[in-house]
Amino acid sequence: MDEEPERAKRWEGGYERTWEVLKEDESGSLKATVEDILFQAKRKRVFEGHGQVRLGMMRHLFVIIDSSRSMEDQDLKPNRLTSTLKLMEFFVEEYFDQNPISQIGIITTKNKRAEKLTDLAGNPKKHLAALKKVVDSTCVGEPSLYNSLNCVALPSGTEIKEILVIFSSLTTCDPANIYELIKTLNALKIRVSVIGLSAEVRVCTILTRETGGSYNVILDESHFKELLMLHVKPPPASSSSECSLIRMGFPQHVIASMSDQDAKPSFSMSHLDSTGEPGLTLGGYYCPQCRAKYTELPVECKVCGLTLVSAPHLARSFHHLFPLEAFQETPLEEYEGERFCEACQGELKDKSVFTCLACKKVFCVECDLFIHDTLHCCPGCMQTDRTS
Amino acid sequence: FRLNIDGLLVCFPYDYIYPEQYSYMLELKRTLDAKGHGVLEMPSGTGKTISLLSLIVAYQKAYPLEVTKLIYCSRTVPEIEKVVEELKKLMDYYTKQTEAKNDFLALALSSRKNLCIHPEILHANIVVYSYNYLLDPKIADLVSKELAKKSVVVFDEAHNIDNVCIDSMSVNITRRTLDRCQTNVETLQNTISRIKETDAAKLQEEYRRLVEGLTEANVARETDMYLSNPVLPDEILQEAVPGSIRTAEHFVGFMKRFLEYLKARLRIHHVVQESTPQFLKDIYEKVCIDRKPLRFCAERLRSLLRTLEIADIADFSAITLISHFATLVSTYNKGFTIIIEPFEDRTPTIANPVLHFSCMDPSIAIKPVFGRFQSVIITSGTLSPLDIYPRILDFRPVTVASFTMTLARTCLCPLIVGRGNDQVAMTSKFETREDFAVIRNYGNLLLEMSAIVPDGIVAFFTSYIYMENIVASWYEQGILENIQRNKLIFIETQDAAETSMALMLNKNKISCKRLFISFSFQPPVHHYGRAVIVFGVPYVYTQSRILKARLEYLRDQFQIRENDFLTFDAMRHAAQCVGRAIRGKTDYGLMIFADKRYARADKRGKLPRWIQEHLTDGSLNLTIDETVQLGKHFLRQMAQPFRQEDQLGLSLLTLEQLQSEDMLQKIAQIAQA
Repeated sequence: MDEEPERAKRWEGGYERTWEVLKEDESGSLKATVEDILFQAKRKRVFEGHGQVRLGMMRHLFVIIDSSRSMEDQDLKPNRLTSTLKLMEFFVEEYFDQNPISQIGIITTKNKRAEKLTDLAGNPKKHLAALKKVVDSTCVGEPSLYNSLNCVALPSGTEIKEILVIFSSLTTCDPANIYELIKTLNALKIRVSVIGLSAEVRVCTILTRETGGSYNVILDESHFKELLMLHVKPPPASSSSECSLIRMGFPQHVIASMSDQDAKPSFSMSHLDSTGEPGLTLGGYYCPQCRAKYTELPVECKVCGLTLVSAPHLARSFHHLFPLEAFQETPLEEYEGERFCEACQGELKDKSVFTCLACKKVFCVECDLFIHDTLHCCPGCMQTDRTS
Repeated sequence: FRLNIDGLLVCFPYDYIYPEQYSYMLELKRTLDAKGHGVLEMPSGTGKTISLLSLIVAYQKAYPLEVTKLIYCSRTVPEIEKVVEELKKLMDYYTKQTEAKNDFLALALSSRKNLCIHPEILHANIVVYSYNYLLDPKIADLVSKELAKKSVVVFDEAHNIDNVCIDSMSVNITRRTLDRCQTNVETLQNTISRIKETDAAKLQEEYRRLVEGLTEANVARETDMYLSNPVLPDEILQEAVPGSIRTAEHFVGFMKRFLEYLKARLRIHHVVQESTPQFLKDIYEKVCIDRKPLRFCAERLRSLLRTLEIADIADFSAITLISHFATLVSTYNKGFTIIIEPFEDRTPTIANPVLHFSCMDPSIAIKPVFGRFQSVIITSGTLSPLDIYPRILDFRPVTVASFTMTLARTCLCPLIVGRGNDQVAMTSKFETREDFAVIRNYGNLLLEMSAIVPDGIVAFFTSYIYMENIVASWYEQGILENIQRNKLIFIETQDAAETSMALMLNKNKISCKRLFISFSFQPPVHHYGRAVIVFGVPYVYTQSRILKARLEYLRDQFQIRENDFLTFDAMRHAAQCVGRAIRGKTDYGLMIFADKRYARADKRGKLPRWIQEHLTDGSLNLTIDETVQLGKHFLRQMAQPFRQEDQLGLSLLTLEQLQSEDMLQKIAQIAQA
């Protein structure tokens, strides 16, 4: 969310009656608009996000994308499917940016079936390629919530803990009682969240309520993006999940020098099941435990099951473990001191200023958001650390 | 928590209160103070029941001499159960608050299986039962006649109360009734001759009693012990039972004659409509039955059945019905009409003669109630226009008020769809009913809505036949098939039990994919809708003779024009239908009126205020496309997270908020007479 979410263009928005919105605002507090409520919720969310909670760092997320007939609806431009896929690409990139040692898998559902688009994997490239391919497919039939959830929950012993459903249809075609499945999901402690593209559907309400997920319905495209981005942040780790140590391997990238005559190109383990990519490479990452070769990280070793990551990856997700504490908000009138922001050096003009509790440095609203959403560390504290 | 309502301390068993509940209680208190009657309209789902109960119970506790009893009448068994549920909560709260033993006795009479233990009703502080126990003269006599005068009577869900009154006083006699009555008479005859052999003294005793007349009942009435029974008119209490029916055999003979006469009357080939005096004159000429013995018929039969010690009265329902008819027909000159139809209008070839003895004046049945009890409250979610109820029920209320719903968000969205996308007007007007374009447009509307509305849609049609026609036509045009792609379709049958059964069986399927096509005259048995569509204006079948007679009577007696009444009746049906879309403040729903006639001021103005308020000028004559756009937008807005905190202070108040000055001012605006 580095750029200000733009409202949809006027002509892209639905048939609106702007004059009515105006009237509602005038007629006093009795008719508070939905947008007011939304704004308050957003503010609250910002604060909630900064509490000291344990977050799950290694995430295994399955995204279920509805690609049924209703995705052809043109209320998102050019249509729901294209718009969703575009946002999904963005989501996948952001996801791996913020959760480097996590994995994601994608499932599409249409025509009463569920189809696994990509398996659980920690590499964005494959997902992006798969998503690009879906754009051309046609949207037919009805989605099946049951089948797609079952597709995720069925393989026993999965470590999946999160499912995100992007649900456009108002119906689902289920071969069996979905409430039974919801119970199973609940027992497996899988959180299911739903983003609805058309309206609130009761079965989704129940699904998310029972499994502890969130349920949101989009208003327009920018709201859709916002909702999707909420799922980029790792959810709080459930207290019941084991706080265990995880074995990890940190393989070094070995490049056989061209001059080395003994070097033979070899297949990487990850190529065993995928076709199409060039098979033979010279260098790669070698699992420190079993010497299996991989070309990309992060990956789970196919031979010994060790999680292979690179140190920089791990470092990037470090900030989730120790989220930066929320800054203290004080109204500008009460603030006494120099009126410029520590970060951007601009003048403090907004209603309130934000003070870091650790280093007592002062920031403006924009910088506060930037620090918490992107930097994840206080520049003031960094400076004092270095000088001391 | 405890509330101070105009000087009265009310225990309210919830932590929060809606502003309109507070306002409602204020009005209610005023009504009770004035010892008068009230008409109060408050939207469904805003906690009418609990407001009523907590205020009246508090009133009873505070002034035990002023109000001794609460009689709470509701319409159906589930509603009664709901009331009992709330009452339990209130009582638990009282026990917790005062920590003393609760000396309140509440009694609910729902079905026959837990029918009253008569004396207990006298001691109970609160009685909850169905309308019929109070209005239907046959039952009221058994259950309610000894209720104290200082009771408060509440009719909940009272939007149909005039029809209940009329039904309770009307009698329909078919050939089957007469046949069964014939058997009854024979059984009576046999029993009498048997008893005569074994225990002649008993009959003698009865005879003696009848000579003395019904003095007992008369004394009771003069001392104001009983609720007067409309079937037992004043005059007959003064007199002794006439000699011609005093002995049991004579009475049976008399009944036989009367029966033969009715049978003869049913053997006709054309429709006959006559007033009660005409009927009496005819019966006198044909079979020499005088007016006087007819009047005593019901009372005489009861006495006979008691003397013969017949336990199973249900078997004698036919003859009881006939005897009631006899008494009513001879007692009232006005307000009733007799229509004999040789066949039903729909099936003119099949002879099925029916004698409708139809009451046209709802005030007859309810008059004793208004006369006897010091406060009668009529309340419902839809009572608009409020002034018509006092007029047709013939009483003078001290408070008439309609309450709006205070909402933190506009959770109802009434839309009037007047045209199709092809600009053809949509209406169920009689002349255009069969019009192909109208039916197609209705179909398109439903189809489009089924694609955007989640969960269920309830579609109401103006009548059962109309629904059958339209659905058949949709089927031919393939519209039904397209709808089925989006939703399951349920077509409600005329049998309510069957429908609820089908709904139960398919509950799981319904949860994912739902749509009902249901018909308007039954109260809906389900609560699944996110949108309610009313196709056409649900006018009653105006060709019916009973209705025509009633309209004429209303015009002559109450100066209510036919058209006004018809519109009123249609609009209360429509309001009742769309009211189902919303069950509470956190719920939301689309209300779609699919007829351009709704946009007219005379129709629109008769909708309840809480619906009218949200009906803007911009949503009066929409096309299908516009409706879809508005609906989509509305549904998305409503799907945004909505928590209790958002309501607090606006539509949900804590005690502190309630006591603030400007909130009290706002509350004062909620009620509107």
